Amino acid sequence: MSWLAKMAGLAEVPVFVAFGEGAPADAASVLAKAPGLRVVETPRAAAILFVVGTVPKALLPQLHRLHDQLPHPRASALWHSRNELPGATRIEEIANISVLLRAIHRDLLVGSLKSEPDFLSDAPPNEWRGIGPHGQGGKGMMGGTPYGRPMAMTAADLRDGLDLDAYTADFGPFLPMLPAGLVLTLTLQGDTIQNVAVAHPPFETQEQRGWVLLNLLGLPALAERMLRATNIGNATVKRLIRLSGARAAIPEGLGRTHDGSDVRTRFDLLTGTSEPIFNLHVQQIGLDDLLIGLEWHEAMLVLNSFDNASLRAICANTSDPEPDTMAGGMDHGVHAGHMS
Amino acid sequence: MTTLIAIILIFAFSMLFTAALRAGAAGPSTYPQKRPILGGSDPETHAWQRFHIRYYTMTLLFVAFEMEMMFMYPWAVVFVEEGPKALAEMGMFLVILSVGIVYGWREGIFRWE
Amino acid sequence: MSVALTLMIMLVFMIVGMLIAAVLDTFFYRWLAGRTGGSLLTPLYAAAAEVSRQRISTEAPDRMNWFLSISGFLTLGAIGLAVVPLGPQSVVIGLETSVVLWGACESLVVVLVFLHGWSPNSPLALIGAYRYVAIGLPIMLLSMFVLIAAALPAESLDLRAIVTSQEDLWNVIRQPLGLPLFILLGLSLTLRGPLDYADSADLAGGTSIEDSGANRAGWQVARLSMLIGFSAVAASAFLGGYLGPVLPGVVWLAFKTLTIMTVIIALSHLLARMPVARMLGLIWKVLLPIAFLDLLLAGLVALA
Repeated sequence: MSWLAKMAGLAEVPVFVAFGEGAPADAASVLAKAPGLRVVETPRAAAILFVVGTVPKALLPQLHRLHDQLPHPRASALWHSRNELPGATRIEEIANISVLLRAIHRDLLVGSLKSEPDFLSDAPPNEWRGIGPHGQGGKGMMGGTPYGRPMAMTAADLRDGLDLDAYTADFGPFLPMLPAGLVLTLTLQGDTIQNVAVAHPPFETQEQRGWVLLNLLGLPALAERMLRATNIGNATVKRLIRLSGARAAIPEGLGRTHDGSDVRTRFDLLTGTSEPIFNLHVQQIGLDDLLIGLEWHEAMLVLNSFDNASLRAICANTSDPEPDTMAGGMDHGVHAGHMS
Repeated sequence: MTTLIAIILIFAFSMLFTAALRAGAAGPSTYPQKRPILGGSDPETHAWQRFHIRYYTMTLLFVAFEMEMMFMYPWAVVFVEEGPKALAEMGMFLVILSVGIVYGWREGIFRWE
Repeated sequence: MSVALTLMIMLVFMIVGMLIAAVLDTFFYRWLAGRTGGSLLTPLYAAAAEVSRQRISTEAPDRMNWFLSISGFLTLGAIGLAVVPLGPQSVVIGLETSVVLWGACESLVVVLVFLHGWSPNSPLALIGAYRYVAIGLPIMLLSMFVLIAAALPAESLDLRAIVTSQEDLWNVIRQPLGLPLFILLGLSLTLRGPLDYADSADLAGGTSIEDSGANRAGWQVARLSMLIGFSAVAASAFLGGYLGPVLPGVVWLAFKTLTIMTVIIALSHLLARMPVARMLGLIWKVLLPIAFLDLLLAGLVALA
């Protein structure tokens, strides 16, 4: 299998980026420009977990879970980070990122660098083996914890009251389509958002998220071009964005705030296709006002259309969740087999 | 018969290929690895659920059109032979179905909610 | 030509086609992204790296359907290529109703993409699967109308007859609305760009979010196979397939398939994707009437 390893060694290094606090505002752009690297959207596709900035203590269980979701052989690296990850390579200089990560990837593939073991213990989220009439972990169709977890239970859909399964879970903080640090407790019916609560606010950052919007609109190549461009209003990028119909693809009035701006106008600002003519006012609007009832794609567009300060203000405005929806909140890692 | 054999051959080859890809790297997955991707968060329940099929009204309309397709296949073969009569017949059929679309539109079946 | 030889040619066509498609895709992406340097064979290396990584299963996955969705998707693309005549006498599946068989493959794509999102038991994959069905179904109606329109002048549902009926004039000129509508279906079948509602970025990879190692490589290969199969069908139904002077038929077919493939890849990087509800309205209210119009025009032209 040596020819396979040789070919694999020539591949771009698939990197999953976990952003922490204090990550450089241009981190995404630096990574896009680094030759031989490819930033991937799911840890399942990655060989290296790349932590940029410091993940705060409250989110460390999440970081550890994320680390364990990478397939073997895997490694991790830290940049601008005060986190401690056993076995992780610390990168000091920007110029070294590519060289170092490529070397790690090659060593992993030929086996001279050992793949990092799990942080968490190999135990199911709930004990299920041997419980119940068939040993599936529960009673009947829905009871108990079949194969380790309970099944979703029904709740009325907010649009027509149909009693169907509502799926409640925390999303984030390391999902590429969510702003870094943001953990949302979402209740979904299908792909429509029924309820939202902020479990952890986004980190403070100066990062511009126009490229994320382009990526969400199915234009990853343009997103990368924008990251590479030296100035935000680059003429070629602007022309390509206009040609793509990105503006028309965003529904009018989506995510409208009290100042009258919607995702479309904010998209224009973020991609530099219009002049900044107004300041955003985000008083008295919360994520629940903005997101409930939206389809997933629309909701992601709304979330990423705000600048960091506005989004933090909106998250602070979001009304406190009802106690029952928070049952599976932040401390869930305890009975999910976390070490600490 | 040759068609069936060809399809079975192609399917068998595809399965073999997919299985062969799996021969490379092995190793069982541990429980922490198996956890579904939620960006580090841990779900409470399984993801499988009874979805609200938002588009079910639309699928009914779709079925109407699929049935129409059944008529259309033989229609396409005899179309030139039958001439304008066939065109007029299919035209009427499509008009009736289009009225159905317009009605559905008015009732709001193309809305996601 | 014997069936075995045709089958071999088809296999070579498919493998070379996939390689070219992957390279073209990389080239377009880099060109648009403004990235220079780096080998264009990157997708091949990436596949090698992918199969050297572990294949992770999820908690209580539907293992059989996970495997079936990947191998089945690969099969459907290959069947698409198999119904396409590679020359006047050579076709792997020579069926009098090959358009109907292809139509069945199109609808099975919806089932398999759904299964691919269903089987890992993961929320974001499930949303991708669910959403894809909503778009995959109505967009198939477009394809049915334009394919029926292409069958009218041939007076047959056999792709071989459809190709020979284009000896005087290609369908792309006779029925100008047909090919653009059919290409939209191609974008949906291959899960690309503006119609990629299954594996999109807002779901961090959607139905393939849980794919690692061999599964990821397999799914990407299957998508490429569908791209080749679809492009070959489109080239035969609208660009006269193997017809052409001097050169052997299969070379002409390859050239035309490449053209369609290039258009699909370019569009997938250039066009933005709208939210699913908006696309649903667009298909039913705008594109479907255009497909009716295409059928009407094709009917009038065929009678003239």
